[in-house]
Amino acid sequence: MSLLKLHATPNRTTAWLLSWLLFAGGVTSYFYVAEQRHKDNPDDRVMPTATQMIKAFQDATLKPAEEDNADDDAAPAPLFTRVRSSMLWKDTIATGRRFLISIALLFPAVLLGLHMAMFPYIGAFFLRFIQFFDKIVALSLLPILFIAFGIDELSKIMLIVIGVTPTIILDTFNLSKGVPREQIVKAFTLGAADFAVTYRIVFKQILPRVLNSIRLNLKAVMLFLFAGEMIASTDGLAYRIALLRRHMGMDTIIPYVLWVALLLFLVDLTMHAFNRKLHPWFQE
Amino acid sequence: MQKPIIRIDQVDVEYAAEGNATRRVLNGINLEIGGGEFISIVGQTGCGKSTLLRLILGEQRPTRGRVLVNGRERSQPDRLCGYVPQKYSLFSDKTVLDNLTFGPDVAEFGAFPMLWPGRRKRMREFRGEALQFLKQMGLDESDARKYPHELSGGMQQRVAIAQALIMKPPILLMDEAFSALDPGTRRGMQKLIKKLWRDSGTTIVFVTHNTREAVWLGTRVIALGGASLFERTVSHIDFDADEDHIQFVIRDIETQTQADRNVRIEREESQKRRLAEAILPS
Repeated sequence: MSLLKLHATPNRTTAWLLSWLLFAGGVTSYFYVAEQRHKDNPDDRVMPTATQMIKAFQDATLKPAEEDNADDDAAPAPLFTRVRSSMLWKDTIATGRRFLISIALLFPAVLLGLHMAMFPYIGAFFLRFIQFFDKIVALSLLPILFIAFGIDELSKIMLIVIGVTPTIILDTFNLSKGVPREQIVKAFTLGAADFAVTYRIVFKQILPRVLNSIRLNLKAVMLFLFAGEMIASTDGLAYRIALLRRHMGMDTIIPYVLWVALLLFLVDLTMHAFNRKLHPWFQE
Repeated sequence: MQKPIIRIDQVDVEYAAEGNATRRVLNGINLEIGGGEFISIVGQTGCGKSTLLRLILGEQRPTRGRVLVNGRERSQPDRLCGYVPQKYSLFSDKTVLDNLTFGPDVAEFGAFPMLWPGRRKRMREFRGEALQFLKQMGLDESDARKYPHELSGGMQQRVAIAQALIMKPPILLMDEAFSALDPGTRRGMQKLIKKLWRDSGTTIVFVTHNTREAVWLGTRVIALGGASLFERTVSHIDFDADEDHIQFVIRDIETQTQADRNVRIEREESQKRRLAEAILPS
């Protein structure tokens, strides 16, 4: 059968159609089963129908969260104001802020990895410790973090730092070590000193790969953030999902899960575009 | 020979081998290279010619002995020696023009160039000079905006030579710089480097495994084999030289290199035999 040949070349339309087939299959199957379940039991809460999910998502994007005690009798506000005071907006901003702080904290990790690779004394000082630290399961530290730092923002950010930074440090270390020795020697012969070689040759060459490494770790960042929010938070996307789980609010949970996936996909896409724009020389 | 610019004094280089054993790559090497010479270092793979180059570069320290450049012992690579390797000769993240201006820029403005107020004006001057070099190398101004991966192997090496020469180093070290090029491009590059050497008066140390290339290019050919070294002066050979004479010099060097190799193999075999006799019960 020619479909399973190594040298088979599907045309663009076929490849495009194939790439959407699983999405279409998944969505169709879900709604078919959901409709069947609702025929048997109109109060079914496990698999909400499309109408229920759209209604719940509209509520999430246009109405404030229950805990905000909105005045139902008040005159309807303009759409923009309603969206800005909505539950989804509030949760997205809370999670987004923590996410951005966590990403910003990865920058010192990149610098540490770079210096460890370039300066042998710094490498000797940190490497073994970071390698050990990398093996600690971050989630197992969660109780310790809550005891040590309380249940505020700091413990959630620390969880991400502990969970992701060792990977980023070691990845940057390996990438820096991978820069051909010839390039470093050449830079010295052109008059560069140690820091110029580090920042103007090695850092510039590894930067696109480091950004790719951060892209690959976005899901890990989100995972640790969600773990922290689910256990100890009063706002955020994961807090909301955990809260709705208690009420079996699947009609809101599913759109929330898809919203998180979409946000993460957009962040990844933006970083990818930024990387390509910033480093036209980089061939993946 | 002019006053020596490079002096290699009783140099041994050993590498760690299996177990606690060591493998000696260079054995009691003595060599003096005068200012303005074009030295070719030739020898078979693994004979230590690149090691010798790294010693001069300051990238490696000898196990015993001293390597002096301009009377000072080498500790790390610096502006005294320009360097053109076989691979990774250009910075892949920089355009041709940025590769050429990197040396003058980093030498003047260091690690954080954005902190210097007068840099923009100087960079304009550097770019002008770089474009002159580019033309001298037979490259077009339109190539200046290209990245290294957009250039052919020969063009990349032309830029790499220009990048090194723009810093006007007293010594240029080339490690198998033309090995990856096709024969036609290689011949063109050989002519170019010979011309640049004549025009600039830079001392060139050229490592190659190709004896013919070594003989054509060098005023002196240093052949390495069996961890030792011997020399042939070939200053009268050029591209237009008598083919019979070139063949004679090549045969002479290759015979000597082979003889040295045989000596090394015999020595290694004898060491192995002695070791086996010591370990195995009689």
